[in-house]
Parts: sequence; structure tokens; C-alpha cells
Amino acid sequence: MNATIRALNRFGLGAHVGERRRIDDPKGWLRAQLQGGAPELRAPLEATPAAIAAAIRDFRAAGQGDQQARQQARRRLVDIAAAESHAALTARATTERPFVERLVAFWSNHLCVSVGAKVLVAPLAGSYEREAIRPHVLGRFEDMLLASAKHPAMLVYLDNFQSIGPASRGAQFSGVRGQQRRGLNENYARELLELHTLGVDGGYTQQDVLQLARILTGWTVTGLARSGPMQNARPRARRRPVQVRQDANGTIGFAFQELLHEPGSKTVLGTKYGEDGVEEGERAIRAFARHPSTARFVATKLVTHFVADDPPAQAVDRVTRTFRDTDGDLRAVATVLVDLQDAWDERLRKFRTPQDWLIAVLRAFNAEASENVMPLLRQLRHPLWSPQSPKGFGDKVQEWADPDSLLNRAELARTVARRLRAQRIDPRTLLDVVDVPASDPLNKFLADNSIAADERIALALAGPAFQWR
Amino acid sequence: MNRRRFVRNMCLGGIATFGFPIVNFAQVKQRGRFVFVLLRGGFDGLAAVVPYGDPAYRSLRSGFAYDESDLTVLNDMFGLAPGLAPLRDLWQRDELAVIHAMAIPYRTRSHFDGQAILETGIDRPVGSSDGWLNRLLQVMTGDRSGIAIASGMPRSLTGPFEVQTWSPTQLGTVSDEYLGRLAVLYRTDAALYGRFESAMQQQDLVGEEPMAGGGARRGGITPLLQAAARILKQEDGPNIAAVEFSGWDTHANQGLAGGALDRLLGQLAEGLVAFRTEMAGAWSNTTVVVMTEFGRTARPNGTRGTDHGTAGAGFVLGPQVAKSIVLSDWPGLSDAALFEGRDLKPTLDTRAVLKGAVGGTFDLTPAQLDRIFPASSGVRGAFELMK
Repeated sequence: MNATIRALNRFGLGAHVGERRRIDDPKGWLRAQLQGGAPELRAPLEATPAAIAAAIRDFRAAGQGDQQARQQARRRLVDIAAAESHAALTARATTERPFVERLVAFWSNHLCVSVGAKVLVAPLAGSYEREAIRPHVLGRFEDMLLASAKHPAMLVYLDNFQSIGPASRGAQFSGVRGQQRRGLNENYARELLELHTLGVDGGYTQQDVLQLARILTGWTVTGLARSGPMQNARPRARRRPVQVRQDANGTIGFAFQELLHEPGSKTVLGTKYGEDGVEEGERAIRAFARHPSTARFVATKLVTHFVADDPPAQAVDRVTRTFRDTDGDLRAVATVLVDLQDAWDERLRKFRTPQDWLIAVLRAFNAEASENVMPLLRQLRHPLWSPQSPKGFGDKVQEWADPDSLLNRAELARTVARRLRAQRIDPRTLLDVVDVPASDPLNKFLADNSIAADERIALALAGPAFQWR
Repeated sequence: MNRRRFVRNMCLGGIATFGFPIVNFAQVKQRGRFVFVLLRGGFDGLAAVVPYGDPAYRSLRSGFAYDESDLTVLNDMFGLAPGLAPLRDLWQRDELAVIHAMAIPYRTRSHFDGQAILETGIDRPVGSSDGWLNRLLQVMTGDRSGIAIASGMPRSLTGPFEVQTWSPTQLGTVSDEYLGRLAVLYRTDAALYGRFESAMQQQDLVGEEPMAGGGARRGGITPLLQAAARILKQEDGPNIAAVEFSGWDTHANQGLAGGALDRLLGQLAEGLVAFRTEMAGAWSNTTVVVMTEFGRTARPNGTRGTDHGTAGAGFVLGPQVAKSIVLSDWPGLSDAALFEGRDLKPTLDTRAVLKGAVGGTFDLTPAQLDRIFPASSGVRGAFELMK
């Protein structure tokens, strides 16, 4: 096995033609990428906080209007998502720290939101990755988790923004004006335990979920204007009218609404949280991040992503220990992944997901992500930020290497190669980005001048060697 | 090389570890087949299976109520909308059960939650759970496999049991020589070769003919259902399939006969009939269920459409259906009878119908059905639907 190719493809996002010869020390090359903060990604012009807020408010206002107005408003939300996707994919295709971008993609998927679930998530998903995930991929897991918990994208996606404590003051006057009475929503609390931290077998109960949901009541979103569950609500008899703070012109952000917060003490995972407003949730989330089950759950997922679909136990143990001993220092965790012997075992392969595959195609040719990339990812069933469930996308061979998907890649490879015809690329240079033995028929095909050059390029991209990382 | 011959050669020379071995008629077995057709978007049951006999129907649907003479009359209460007329043949053959006032077990008017409930087969939205068709595959014994006929893996089939997918690709644009060379490359990869071979074979089975006309490949459900039939009718091919058909979220201008919704209904009915035809002899042990995530509001909205509602209609088709019936504990359309004053009231749980349909198709025990639909032991399967 060629260690440089493994570093470029397994930990990175695919090799550029010629890149392997510029790397002397594959592990050193990876470690160097972990130095310094995570690379920032600026908001696209279409997706400044003010633009996102305006588009969302217009969309909500258009709910009253005719269909054309509604469609136009919806279109703006989708356009923001498209601009964000383009920026994120460009970063992946062109970065010089591909290991770090892979970590961004990994953590963004671990704590995923989905633009397919609710239209309001669409304009927020890109900023979620930029603001809640990216800054923390070389920082602390608990900071990332807390940033995720407080980001409007997550609050909307898993409904926490409309969860109301049953005994909160707010609950007493919801249901007026014929609105459906709202109450506790445990969706986020459940996924926080099941998917983000402890894992489904991590040792929590339905009671813990319920209590956590109570702790997280009042964690909501400001700036949605026509949103707040309490908008226009007035208390019954003799109480003073209570106005929920609504910032009709500001940006969209996290707000803790005391009024909706379930009063009293709560107990989760055996820890009692006395009534303490927003700090109850902050403390609980930091505690989950440090829970031993979380270390194992997250380590298992990381080793599955970076080593093998069946993660070797000793590798999981080692990453678990590092995660636990460093209180979730993700730079230390990433470093130990590079040190895992199993990550360099040639028998252990990882199948490229469609996103991995397409980004690797772009990187092979030093190409940028064009606006064609999103439709291609849809065709490959792996559009950015669109998993079907909060579990996120899987990354195992059985999830992606179905016969139909292989044919899809064969077809797309042919299309991509035709588009590259003008560049007069020598197909043989693609042997640079895969690891094939001299006996592999790919060598013969790529050198065979009787086959059209663009078809030879397609064979390299659609052949089995390019499907693995 | 001709693709068909190419595939044969590949199979004979290769190791068929995945997908379909060559048909061997000496080993024909009787196996049930099941197709779950999901109409995404919330299909308007009241416009499809029209309760023309309900005294409140005409005033409730004023503006787009059908006359009895427009309909394929099923009984003195219900008739099929004009677009669904092609189903008359199945009705007359006792191969069509029409279900009405049916809903998922959880009250939501969200597409996302509604589809999640219908596809996971559980009674509330739980983000991470797998699909009920995947659990069906896990619970069944003997030779079985699943396939998604869709542009993405539908939630209903996700889970630990590995399933295949097929969607219309534009493989017509790549040459057989290219595929042949790719096959040579894939031969070097033990983990992927069987899958690649299987892909070629699937493509071969589906063939080009039903897709004639190029663009038609990606539009409408008829080509998808014909492709599904070509795959499902193979002995030892997949016998559980999920098919999707979107576009039912008719908030505006639904229209009457020949209108937007009726044209969709026409596509659905023609697709189902084409599926039956394509299945030929294999139709005899095949069951098709058609469902949607929710029905629509009983009254039209301000844009001559309908909004997200609650109960709606669905279909169970196939020779295993006991006899053609309308299965419904009809709640009525009077103001007092409507759910929350606006929607058709649910009187039948989707899981009861699914339990009856898959239970009857595969001879499953109640215990097996309760594993497929967790926390549904209180929901009696509608076993009377099936032979």
C-alpha cells in the first residue's frame, strides 16, 4: 500500500495529480494540517446574517399571500442554501488542509441538520456548519455541542424552538385565540442523547429524555418575527400582559425565553439540576459531552469513518481513551486517528461516499466546485446537509455501493470526462491519484491509445480503485 | 458487443455472489411479492375516491364536486375519480380493495413527520428508526430481498438488511465497450465485482423498450412501475419493492376531470395497470399497496386546492385480495363528523391495512407483524382484506 495515497485519500479528500510526489512524510503532512485554528469560511454574499433573516421573515410573511409570492419567498430560502452549499463544496475541493475539511464534514454530519426536513432549515444549514461546527473541529467537543444546541438551524430542525414547559408561565396562555395548545417537545432532547452524545445504548432512560426536554424548554429562536409560539398571546384574567421579546429587525439567533422555561428542579442521568434558567441546559450538555458513553460512541463513529466499517476494537479503545482523557479535545483526537496502526492497514478499506467521490474527482483535476455539483450530488443521493433522518448519512460500503449507485458513477464519470476533453489531460496521470498494482488492467487501459482519451479518464474515475479511500 | 450477450458472458465467467443468478426454471418457487407505492405530498383521498353518496359531499366540496355520472361507481357511497377509471378492470376482477378514512397513527400535518411515521411504521416521529419494509425483510425467512425503485433510498427500506436500488439512469449515453472495460476492472475487486455485475444485469432486465422516448424515462410513474415489474418478476429477484410518486401536494387549482390532480390520478392508474400487465404470470402472488402520508382538508382552500389534512384513501391491489371492496368505517362529512372541524376523521390505522396486506401476502404470524410494526399490538390487522 502507498502511504502517501492513503493519507491523501483516507484522511484527506482525494489527491491532486502530482501531489503524491510533493509529500515526503504522510503522517507529518497530516499532523501539520492540525496546527492552528480551523480555517474560517466567510458567509457568501447571499447569506449574510441580515440577508438570511430578511429572507426568512419575508417567507413567513408571504404565508398570507398568494401562491406566487409564497413560491418566490421559498425560492430565496433555497437560493441561500445553494450559495452556502457552493461555498462549502468549494472549500472541500480546493482546500490545502483537506484533513481538516474532512473533519468539518464528519462533525457536521454527526450533529446534522437537514434542509429537506423543514424549509426554514434550508437558509440556516450553511451558517450552522460555518458557525457551530467549523470553529470547533480542532477545539473541544463540548463547545461544538453547545454551539450546535444553540444554533437556530438545530433549534428549528429538531423542534426545540417551539417546546414549552407544561408548567411554565407561557403554557398558561398558549392555546388562546384558537391556536393549538403547544407543550413539551422532546425531539431534540432525545436525539441529543441518542445520536449526539451517549448513543442509543449509552445508558439513559425515557425519563432522562423527558427531564432533559424540560431543562431545554425556553431555548428558542429570536428574529423569526411571525414565529414565537407566544406572539400576540395574552394571559388570562388579571395578569399583566406579557410580551415575548421579538426582534423584528435583528438577525436570527438563540434566545432563552424564561417565560417558556419549565420551572423547578430536574434530574437527568442521576444529576439534579436546580432551577437555574439557561444554565441548567448548558451544564447538562457539558456533562453529556464528558460522559464515558459519549467518548465510546463518538470514538466508534470516528474509527468507523477513518479506519473500517467494522471498527477494530483496539483502535476504538485508544480513541475512546484519548477523548476521555482530554475531555473531548478534538485536535488530540484527530491526532490519535493518524497514529492508529489500523488506519494504515492495507486490508482495511473505506468506500467513498458520493460526496467523497465527487470531491475527489474535482480534486484530481484541480477543478473548482461549479453549480453543477449540487444536482450531481442529488443524482448520487448524497446532497449536502440533506440526510433523511437526524442520524445523518452513513459511510459504510453497504449504504453506498449498491449496483445502481455504481452505474450512476459510471455514467457520471463518462459525462465529467467528456467535459474535460478540452483540457487534453493525459489519462495516465490519473494513476497518480489511485493506488493500483502494476498488474492492474487499469494501467493497460490508460495507456491504450486505441481508446478515446475521455473514455480512459472515465474508466479511471469509475473503476474500482477510485471508489475506495 | 450486445449488452444482453455481454451480461450473459459476464455471469457465466464470473462469480454471481450478489443479485440475480441466471433464471433457472427448474427451481421455480412460489414466493409472494410486495410493492409499497408511496404517494408523497399528501394525496387527496376525497378527490380520488369520491364519497358522492355522502349528503354533505357536494356542499363541502363546492366548486369541485363530482357528479355520480363522472365516476366509476364502486357502491352507493363511493366512486373512483375519472382519472382512476383504468382501475375499473381490477375492480371487476376482484383485485382491488379501496381503503378510505385511513390515517397514520400520529396526528401531524407535516410532510416530514407524516412520511416518517408511514415509512418507519411506528406511532410517533423518532428520528433514527429504520423503515418497516426493512424490518419486514429482517423478520421474513427464506429467500427474499428488497429493492428501491426511487431516486434515493426511501426511509421505508433503510436499515440493517441490505437492499438494492434501481433508478432510471441515462446509461443509453455510455457505450457497451465502456461498460465492458469497466467490468474487466471490477473483476479485480472481490468486494465490488458482484455488485457491478448485478447492476449490469438489472439494467439488462429492465431493458430499453419501456423507456423509449428518452425523456419519458424520468417522468411519470408508468416507466418506473414497468421497470419494477421487470425486476420483480424474475424468479429469485427481489420480492419487496418500494416505489415513490411525488407531486400530490395540491394546494392550488386541483381541478376536476382532466385537471391537474386528475391527470396525476390518471398516471397512477395507468402505471398500476401497466405494472400488472408487465408482471404477467408473476402477478398471481403479487400485492401492491398505495398509501400517502396524510389526506387533505375536507373543504377547498382559497386557491381552489386543499391543504394538509388527516385521513385519506389508499389501495390494496392484487389477486391475493379477497374480493373487491371499499374498506371503510365511514365517519361522514358533516361538520360535526370532521376531525378538528376541517379534515376527514381517521377511523382506520395505516398499520392495520399494512399488517393485513403483508400478513396475507407472506403468511406472517401476529408476532412477526408486531416486530415489523413495534408498539402496534393493539392494532388489529385487516386480515379480511386478503385471501
